[in-house]
Amino acid sequence: MTTTAQVREHLRGWAMPHVLCPGCAHGIVGRAFLSAVDDVGIDPDQMAVVAGIGCSSRLVGYLDFCTLHATHGRAPSFAAGIKLARPELTVAVFSGDGDGLAIGGNHLIHAARRNIDLTVVLFNNEIYGMTGGQAAPTTSVGAIASTAPRGSVESPFDACKLMIGAGATFVARAAASEPYTLARIFADALDHEGLSFVEVLSDCPTYFGRYNKLGSGPEMLAAITRSDNRIAIPLAGKRSIPTIDPPDLPPGVELGTLHREHRPVFTGRAGGAT
Amino acid sequence: MSARGVVLAGVGGQGVVLASAVLAEAALRSDFEVKQSEVHGMAQRGGAVVSHIRYGETVASPVVPLASADVLAAFEWAEALRWMPYLAPRGALVVDARRIVPPGACKDHRTWGVPYPAMDTATVAHRVADVLLIDASGIAASLGNPKTANSVVMGAVSRFLDIDDVAWEKAITRFVPPGTEELNIAAFHAGQEAGSVRPEAIPDLGLDPIQQRSYRIEVDHSWCKDCGICPTVCPEFCLAMDHAHRLVVVDEAACIGCRLCEALCPDFAIRISVGDPAVVSGGAP
Amino acid sequence: MNEPRLIRGNEACALAAIAAGCRFYGGYPITPSSEIAEHMARELPEVGGVFVQMEDEISSLGAVIGAAFAGAKAMTATSGPGFSLMQEHIGYAVMAEAPCVIVDVMRGGPSTGRPTSPSQGDVMQARWGTHGDHPAIVFAPASVAEIFELTVKAFVVAERTRMPVIVLYDEVLGHTAETVALPEEVTVADRRKPEVEPEAFLPMLPANDGVPPLPAFGDGYRFHVTGLVHDERGFPSDDPAVAGALLRRLHAKVENHRSEIVDVATSHLDDADVVIFAYGIVARAAEEAVAMARRQGGRVGLVRPRTLWPFPDAEIAEAVRGARLVVVCEMNLGQMLLEVERVVAGSVPIAAVLRGDGEPIDPDEILAALDRDMEGALP
Ligand code: SF4
Ligand code: SF4
Ligand code: SF4
Repeated sequence: MTTTAQVREHLRGWAMPHVLCPGCAHGIVGRAFLSAVDDVGIDPDQMAVVAGIGCSSRLVGYLDFCTLHATHGRAPSFAAGIKLARPELTVAVFSGDGDGLAIGGNHLIHAARRNIDLTVVLFNNEIYGMTGGQAAPTTSVGAIASTAPRGSVESPFDACKLMIGAGATFVARAAASEPYTLARIFADALDHEGLSFVEVLSDCPTYFGRYNKLGSGPEMLAAITRSDNRIAIPLAGKRSIPTIDPPDLPPGVELGTLHREHRPVFTGRAGGAT
Repeated sequence: MSARGVVLAGVGGQGVVLASAVLAEAALRSDFEVKQSEVHGMAQRGGAVVSHIRYGETVASPVVPLASADVLAAFEWAEALRWMPYLAPRGALVVDARRIVPPGACKDHRTWGVPYPAMDTATVAHRVADVLLIDASGIAASLGNPKTANSVVMGAVSRFLDIDDVAWEKAITRFVPPGTEELNIAAFHAGQEAGSVRPEAIPDLGLDPIQQRSYRIEVDHSWCKDCGICPTVCPEFCLAMDHAHRLVVVDEAACIGCRLCEALCPDFAIRISVGDPAVVSGGAP
Repeated sequence: MNEPRLIRGNEACALAAIAAGCRFYGGYPITPSSEIAEHMARELPEVGGVFVQMEDEISSLGAVIGAAFAGAKAMTATSGPGFSLMQEHIGYAVMAEAPCVIVDVMRGGPSTGRPTSPSQGDVMQARWGTHGDHPAIVFAPASVAEIFELTVKAFVVAERTRMPVIVLYDEVLGHTAETVALPEEVTVADRRKPEVEPEAFLPMLPANDGVPPLPAFGDGYRFHVTGLVHDERGFPSDDPAVAGALLRRLHAKVENHRSEIVDVATSHLDDADVVIFAYGIVARAAEEAVAMARRQGGRVGLVRPRTLWPFPDAEIAEAVRGARLVVVCEMNLGQMLLEVERVVAGSVPIAAVLRGDGEPIDPDEILAALDRDMEGALP
């Protein structure tokens, strides 16, 4: 993993410090991503990162690449336009769980179906952070959010299963608490030809953590590592979850590279797929 | 014939895996049933790697039981001592006299100062029928490629096993990198001839002098948000939060340069750099 | 000129785009615009371009904007319901200053309305459909030849102003075949590229005309694009002074290019007592009505804006000067009527021929209105 000094070469230093909250793990994820860009040896002039709207999406402004902060949920479509029009660019998408799975769910699955050569990073913080902690399509059952004051009763998405089903050709999940693994997975994803999807567990301390009494940044990082990647376990320990008993907690989500296949990549050009 | 057991031990990058593949293949070509199992420690980081090979007319378990290996071949002296319990009474010990300090053996990860076990065949001779401390790396280097040291060791091992040269040569040809077949076969035969050396006679093979490394911890306070992550993850307690919940560096001298704080700082705010080596001393005692 | 041949409106639009250098099309099928997408799917790959059928109109324009920043001339085409979905990204293209072309082949609305009937119900949406204060550039061709001409012009203006430019016509024109001699060559324009080194590049620093130069992603200039209010570095800013200046510049750059954008056709105005105001397909009926009135000895003329937005205030004021009646004809319940009323400001009485039923306006209807609203208009 590259050092901070090296990683900083890829930052717009003049814009730092970034707007994210103290202890928000999104920065760790961004750092691991930059490290991977370096490891893979991508020319920064030929790297484009597109983001939607939300906390994670704000990160792209600090990356010294060609960066586009698009509209809520639509980043995959902008990214598709960039990649198809200029195939020599390496194009990545930073998206949040609300951004990518709620308002932008359609764009995400279609990018996967077409197998456009993009690397999509989905920062899963289980909540809408930027708008103040509303329930997201990933919020664990029982977890408190500002629009789920009695605990969320909706089932969360399994983003990786969704993307495998939609046809993504590289699907992985990692936790922000494991930056080395994260950097390796990002490197693999960037290397992969076709749509790569990486979901990163990066729970929001400011809202999700506070509403659910999970502590601040350090405690939340530790919690996710100690609990089999099940935020539901520390959740259950912290408060009574009326809807599920501890023995019925959902199993910890699987981490690592979950799916990999090779399928023709969509280019939109004569001669079709590469 | 009851099954014979060989334990090959070394550290990552030495070719233990390749050597055990060669031995397994040679045994197969001699119409034995072969079972083999490997344990990788942190092989990529120079950690221990050990491989068990058992062969015979019938072999049940791939694991060589304690005190039953016919041959223990170690690519490194400290590894030889570590796996000694596997060697059968009156078994044969083949050791490359190279000395590599595996990080797991380090007492002090800051100075890398390790009390390396004395290389003295007499300390083990009472337990072993044959002790062969050979300068495999030196022999390999003199043949033209130090990377063939593992073939030298296997040559020495072959003296204690009932596998013929033709099978060995075919096995070597199959597994070594293309183009190095002849060199490895020559190294193998040199190993069959090699005599035991006295440790003092072995030239220093380039072990780094032990250095006292020091690290600088720089925190950019204009970027740091005092989130408290780095003090929680620092294994050496170099960092702490003060009463006002501000990050302070409390013990820079204790920093081991693991960079965990860097990797987990969400704000790119902490930087570790290598300072000047403070103490340079000679090899281990 | 090429040999004249029979060309349908939607085909002329696609041919014009390719001639203007369009090499990226992202779209979603919708009646009555789908022939444009079909033509592009066939022809674009032949000229090294990219065609992608997206999952909806939102992403269609998203992809077009992405392609624009990757250096391509890019377009999409749609109709009413799709145009509604595109509003989000029209605003983005204005704010991020993405040059691109959007074609709206209008059909009857609101909502799903009458997919196969014509309408001019989107003219205000084309101006104000996306939220916030923003300028708009909208062209309204009235014939197949004009669809070709104004689609080319849309690309030229988009490149020069870094604006999304809208071409608005209706279902009848889209599906009408007319004999057209296409030009062998068209005048095209390319966006201005920065002249400074990447290190000195300020992505949102405008040139004298208010338009910042635009390198493509991958050209060696690494910059940030956002729909948030941003400063000259392209970086989000919360400063009211920055926000105010940005908004004014976005309007000013269109104003600065007004003479290239605004385009008004007139006929028989010199002695006209009655001035008919019509645009798009309705202008064709209006021309016919003018001819019929003239045969009867009526002094009737026509003003026909080919640019709807920015609204040609001065040109319309000039056209109606001295008239005794202005007749506004449009296939909606009175949208551009409001603009004409604003410009005329009570100086001349205004009559209106409006239809919202999805049926074209015919010349007799216009003549009947003249007769009704002005004593002696048709002697
Ligand atoms: S609100 Fe939550 S997700 Fe957003 S920056 Fe703050 S901690 Fe991170
Ligand atoms: S590198 Fe960082 S985490 Fe590791 S010992 Fe030094 S201060 Fe602690
Ligand atoms: S992890 Fe980074 S931001 Fe947090 S206290 Fe340490 S240096 Fe500061």
